[in-house]
Amino acid sequence: MNLVSIIGAIELGLVYSLLAFGTYISFRILNVADLTVDGSFVLGAAVSAMFAYSNMPVAGIALAVLCGGLAGMVTASLQTKMGIQPILSGILTMTGLYSINLMVMDGKANIPLLNKTNIFTYAEKMFNTKLYKILALLIIIGTVFAMLNWFFRTQLGLSIRATGDNEDMCRASSIDTDFIKMVGFSLSNSIVALSGALVAQMQQSADINMGSGMVVISFASIIIGSVIIKNKNITAGLLSVIIGSVIYRFIIALILTTSFPPSYLKLISSLVVVTALSLPNVKRKIETSKLRKERK
Amino acid sequence: MLNINEATKIFNKNTPDEHIALNNLSLEVSDGEFVTIIGGNGAGKSTLFNAISGTMMCESGTISLDGQDITHMAEFKRAEFIGRIFQDPMRGTAPHLTVGENLIIAYMRSIKKNMLGIPSKKEKNYIKERLAALNLGLEDRMNTKIGLLSGGQRQAVTLVMATLVKPKLLLLDEHTAALDPVSAKSVIDLTNKIVSENNITTLMITHNITSALAMGTRTIMMDSGTIAVDIRGDERKELTVQDVLKKFNSVKKKEFDDDNVLL
Repeated sequence: MNLVSIIGAIELGLVYSLLAFGTYISFRILNVADLTVDGSFVLGAAVSAMFAYSNMPVAGIALAVLCGGLAGMVTASLQTKMGIQPILSGILTMTGLYSINLMVMDGKANIPLLNKTNIFTYAEKMFNTKLYKILALLIIIGTVFAMLNWFFRTQLGLSIRATGDNEDMCRASSIDTDFIKMVGFSLSNSIVALSGALVAQMQQSADINMGSGMVVISFASIIIGSVIIKNKNITAGLLSVIIGSVIYRFIIALILTTSFPPSYLKLISSLVVVTALSLPNVKRKIETSKLRKERK
Repeated sequence: MLNINEATKIFNKNTPDEHIALNNLSLEVSDGEFVTIIGGNGAGKSTLFNAISGTMMCESGTISLDGQDITHMAEFKRAEFIGRIFQDPMRGTAPHLTVGENLIIAYMRSIKKNMLGIPSKKEKNYIKERLAALNLGLEDRMNTKIGLLSGGQRQAVTLVMATLVKPKLLLLDEHTAALDPVSAKSVIDLTNKIVSENNITTLMITHNITSALAMGTRTIMMDSGTIAVDIRGDERKELTVQDVLKKFNSVKKKEFDDDNVLL
C-alpha cells in the first residue's frame, strides 16, 4: 500500500462515515434497517452533481440534504400513516427513487463533473496542501458530529432514542411516536444524502447505480466500529462509526492490492456484515454444544 | 372525575367470532377514589383500560375525564394526563436508556414546550429526589441502563414515571402479577404510598382478591363486559374473600371446586 492509496482510503472512509452516521440513526437508534439509503444516497449525489454542473456546488449540497430529508419522510409516512412494514417501506421508497433520481439527472445515467468547480476545489485553494480533501471532510464531519452529539441529548433526540427502544413506553409518556419517526428517518436520510452529495463532488461524477449496496457498506462500518469501541453511548457510537468506516476502506484498499478481482468487493462487504451479526449466536451455539459434550 | 357513559366495544363484529368486550358499560369515578377491579379472564377489564387510555376506540358511548371528552382523543395525547402501568415490567421502560433518561422522558410531559432544550440540572435533581423518596437506593443508579435492573425495580421506576407529573387518572393493569411475592409486596406498598400521598384517582386491575379488598376505597367486579358488582364504604370493609368468591360464583352461575381457580 502506498501513500496515495492510504490517503485515498482515509478520504473515502471519512466521506462514507457520513453515510454510516445516517444509517446509525435508523439502524442503531430507531432499530429499523432502513433501505431507503440506497436511493437517498444517489438522490443526494444527483442533486449535488446537477447543481455543481451549473457551477452552484454549495447550493447543490444544501438542496441534496433537504431532498434526502424528504425521502426519509416518505419512508416514515409509509410506516406510520399507511402501516406498511418498516423494511418494505424502505424498499418501496428506494425503488421509487430510482426513477426520481433519473429524472433529476435529466434522464442520463451518468453526470460527469470534470473541470467543474466543486467544494473541494475551494478547499484546495484555501488549505494549500495535498491533504485538502481530508481537511475539508474533517471540518464537515466535525460539524455534523457536534450537531448530532448535541441533538441526541435534547428532549427531541432523547425521544427518538426512546422510540427506537420501546414505543409503548413512549406513547405512555405522551410522545407522538409517528412524528418522532418522521424526524428520525428524515434526519437519517438527509445525512445519507449529504454523504452522496460530497461523494459526487469528490469523485467528480454521479452515477445512477452508485447507491447499490450502500446499506450493507454502512452496516459493515457500524459493526466494525462497534467491535473497536464497545461503549454504546451516543458520543462513543458516532466516533466508532467514523473509525469503522475508515477501517472498512483500508480493508478494501488492502484487498485491491492483492490479485483479488474488485468485483468481489460487494460479496466481501456482505460477508463482513453476516459474520459480525451472526457471531454472538454462533458463539452461543458452540458453547452449548461444548457443554453437551462435557456431559457425555 | 372519570365518566364512562354506555361504552360498547365489539371485537370481530358481524362474524361468527363476535365478542362483546364492553357491553353498554357506564362507570363514574370521583376524584381521589381508588378503585380495584376484579373479574375472570375475558370479563373486559383490560378492554376497559384500553378504551380509557385510547389504545382502541369504542364503537359507541363516551368517555370524559374532568369534563373533557376524550372518547376519540389520540393515545399519546391523553397520556399527558393518564398514567398507565402494564403487567409486563419490560413494557414500561426503555431498556437501553439509563434510569435517569427514562425518568426524563416521563417528566417531559410537563416541560414539553421546548423540544430542543436539554434537561437542566435542576430538573435532573428534582427527578433524583423523587426517586430517592422510594427508599430503594435507585437514586444512586441514575446512570445505569434500566435493562440491568430487576423486574421489581423496573416496575417501581415505571410507577414513579407514571406519577412524576401528577396524572388525572392512574391505570394499573395487574402491575404486580409478573413479580415474585417479595417484589410484588414492595411495589404494592409503593403504590399505596404514592397514590395516597398525591391523592391520585386510580383504577387497578388485580387477580388477587385479598389485595383488591385491602387496597383502595372501592371494588368493582366485571363480567361479560359489564359491571356485575360495585361495593364501597362500610359494606366493603366487612367483606371477606369468601363473600367475594360467593358473589363471583353467583355472577358466573358456576360452582368452583376450590378457590385456586381464582387465586
